[in-house]
Amino acid sequence: MTTTSNNDIARAIYLMFKDKSSSEQKNISEKVVKFLFRRRLLSKAPDILSRLKKIINNADGRLEVKISSVEALSHQVKTHLEQTLKKRYLVKEVVLKEYIDKKLLGGLKIEVNDEVIDLSIKNKIEKLQEYLIKV
Amino acid sequence: MNSNTIVENLKKEIDNFSLQLKVEKVGQVIEVFDGIAKVSGLSDIKSSEMVTFPNGEVGVALNLEEDAVGVIILGDFSKIKEGDEVKATGKILEIPVGDSILGRVVNAIGAPIDGKGAIKASKTYPIEKVAPGVVTRQSVDQAVATGIKVIDAIIPIGRGQRELIIGDRQTGKTAIAIDAILNQKGQNMICVYVSIGQKDSKLRKLGARLEAGGAMDYTVIVSAGASEAASMSYIAPYAGVSIAEYFMDQGKDVLIIYDDLSKHAVAYREISLLLRRPPGREAYPGDVFYLHSRLLERACRRNAKYGGGSITALPIVETQAGDVSAYIPTNVISITDGQIFLETDLFYKGIRPAVNVGLSVSRVGSSAQIKGMKKVAGTLKLDLAQFRELEAFAQFGSDLDESTKKQLERGKRAVEVLKQLQYSPMKIENQIVTLYALTKGLMDDVSIDKIKEFEQGLIEYSERHAKTFYKEIKESKMWTDKGEVELKKVIGDFKMGFSK
Repeated sequence: MTTTSNNDIARAIYLMFKDKSSSEQKNISEKVVKFLFRRRLLSKAPDILSRLKKIINNADGRLEVKISSVEALSHQVKTHLEQTLKKRYLVKEVVLKEYIDKKLLGGLKIEVNDEVIDLSIKNKIEKLQEYLIKV
Repeated sequence: MNSNTIVENLKKEIDNFSLQLKVEKVGQVIEVFDGIAKVSGLSDIKSSEMVTFPNGEVGVALNLEEDAVGVIILGDFSKIKEGDEVKATGKILEIPVGDSILGRVVNAIGAPIDGKGAIKASKTYPIEKVAPGVVTRQSVDQAVATGIKVIDAIIPIGRGQRELIIGDRQTGKTAIAIDAILNQKGQNMICVYVSIGQKDSKLRKLGARLEAGGAMDYTVIVSAGASEAASMSYIAPYAGVSIAEYFMDQGKDVLIIYDDLSKHAVAYREISLLLRRPPGREAYPGDVFYLHSRLLERACRRNAKYGGGSITALPIVETQAGDVSAYIPTNVISITDGQIFLETDLFYKGIRPAVNVGLSVSRVGSSAQIKGMKKVAGTLKLDLAQFRELEAFAQFGSDLDESTKKQLERGKRAVEVLKQLQYSPMKIENQIVTLYALTKGLMDDVSIDKIKEFEQGLIEYSERHAKTFYKEIKESKMWTDKGEVELKKVIGDFKMGFSK
C-alpha cells in the first residue's frame, strides 16, 4: 500500500520547519494548513499534530511522561523520578505530566509513549486476583 | 474443607505470591468491527503475539502496519470500545494442555465448553510452531487401522501420514472420520477431533456417539462453532494440533481430524478481507496455501532418538458438485499424502462408504500396510480395476465370453464386500479372512444378495475354527502355509452348511 501515513506527513512537516526563521515558519504554517485542507486531511490533524509533537520531542531529546497517582506528588519524588527516567530512556529532559486518579487506590502509574510501568495498588490487587484464580 | 482451612490456604498462597513488575507495552483501540480491532501504539509487537483487552478478552496481532496493528479478537468483541487499553503479552498465543484434557470438549483457546468444570492444565503450548525438521523424522511404516475395509485394504493409512477425505456434502466424510476414531479403542492411539464451523447440533450428536462407543476416553474434541467468530475457526485447527503435539511429545501416537478445512479457509478469507489484505483467486488471500501447508506439515512420525510418537492427520475438505479442481481442494490435495474421494453417485447407488476407489490414493500408506493385508489387497485392487473397465463396456454387448463374465461377477462381489455399515468397524484379521475368500474366488458361487450374510457367517465361523490362522496374523502379521490350509478348509466347511 502506498498511501501516505499520518506519520509521514508529520515527519514532512517537521523537516520543513527545521532550521527556518520565524517569518518563514509562519509562511510554511499557512501552506501546511492549506495542504491539509486541499487533501481533506483536516480531520486527521489532531493525530498528525500529536505525532509531530513526538517527532520534535524525540529530536530535542525530550521525553513526555504521564504520571497518574492518587495524590499530588512531592517535589522530592518528582526529582527522583526525573533522574531515574532520564537514565532509563537516555534523554536530556523529562517533562512530567501529572494526573490524579483516585481509582488507582495507591502507588503510581508511569506512562512513556506506549510503555506502562504500573506500580499502583489496583494493578497489584488485580495481579493477585489472577494468581489466586490460577492456583 | 471448613472455612478456617480455606482462609489458611489463601493466606499461604498470598504469602507465596510475588509480584514481578515489568514494563508493559500498551496501545489504544482505534476502531472495532466484525471481530477485528485496529490498535495504535504497541510498538515492538511480534506477529501472532497475544494481546489482552480490559474485559479479559484475548486477541492476536496479525497485521503489523506503520502506525496501527490489526488484531483479531478471540471471543466476544461487543464490549470492546474505542479508546480501550490493549496490553501486549510478549507471548505467542498459547493454549493450556494436560493429560486431563482427554475426554473433554474445548473451544479454540482451550477453555472447556462441555460443562464438566475446569481442566487442570500442566503446561501451555504455543499454537503456532515450526513443524519437526527432517532429522527428527522417520518414514511411515506402521498402520492406522480404521476398521473400514475399503480404506484398510486399498487406501491404507500409516501413522504420521496426512490423508485427505474429500467429497461433496452428505457423502459420509465425517462418518469415515468417526468410524476411524471408534476403531482406535485399544490401539494405543489418542484422537483429536477438530470441528471447524460446524453446527452445534452435529457436534452434540457426534460427542454422544463417541461417548456411547467408549471413544471419549482417548479423544479430545476441539470445537469452533458456526456461531462463534471467524477468528475462533481460524485458530481451532492450530489449537488442535498443539494438543496433539503435547501427546506426541510423550511418545504417543495421535490421530487428528480437521472437519473441515474448506470452512477454515473461508474463515481465514473473512479475516483477511476485513484486515484489508489483497484478495487473490476466489477472493482467498495469497497465503492460503501456507495456511494449510504449515498446519498439515506438523503431522509427522518422529524417530526414536527424538522421542518417537506420531501425528496422523485426516483433513476433510468439502467440494461443490464434485469439483476437485477448485482452489482449496487442489491445494490440500497437493499438500497431503493421498486422498479418499467420496462420490454422491456411489452414495445413492448404495455403495457406502461411497469411496471412489479409482480416484483415491494413498501415497505412503502401502509401506505401512501389514503383510497379510497387502497380499489380499493386491489382487483386490486388480479385480476392481478390471471390473471398472469392463463394467462400462459390458453394458452394450450381451454376448460376453466366459472369462469376462467371471471377472464381472468377481467385481460385483468385491463391491458388495467393500460395503460397510456406519459405526461397524471391522478387525483387521476379519478383513483379511473376508478378502481372502473373495480374492481366491471362494465367493464366486455365492449369489450377490447373500454376500453380506455369507461374510457375517464366515467371520463368526472362522473366528471359532481357524484359530491358527488368526494367531499367525496377530503375531506375525502374515499367515504361513499351515494357516492358509486351515483357513481354506474352514471356508470350505462353512460353505457346505451355507445355503447359497
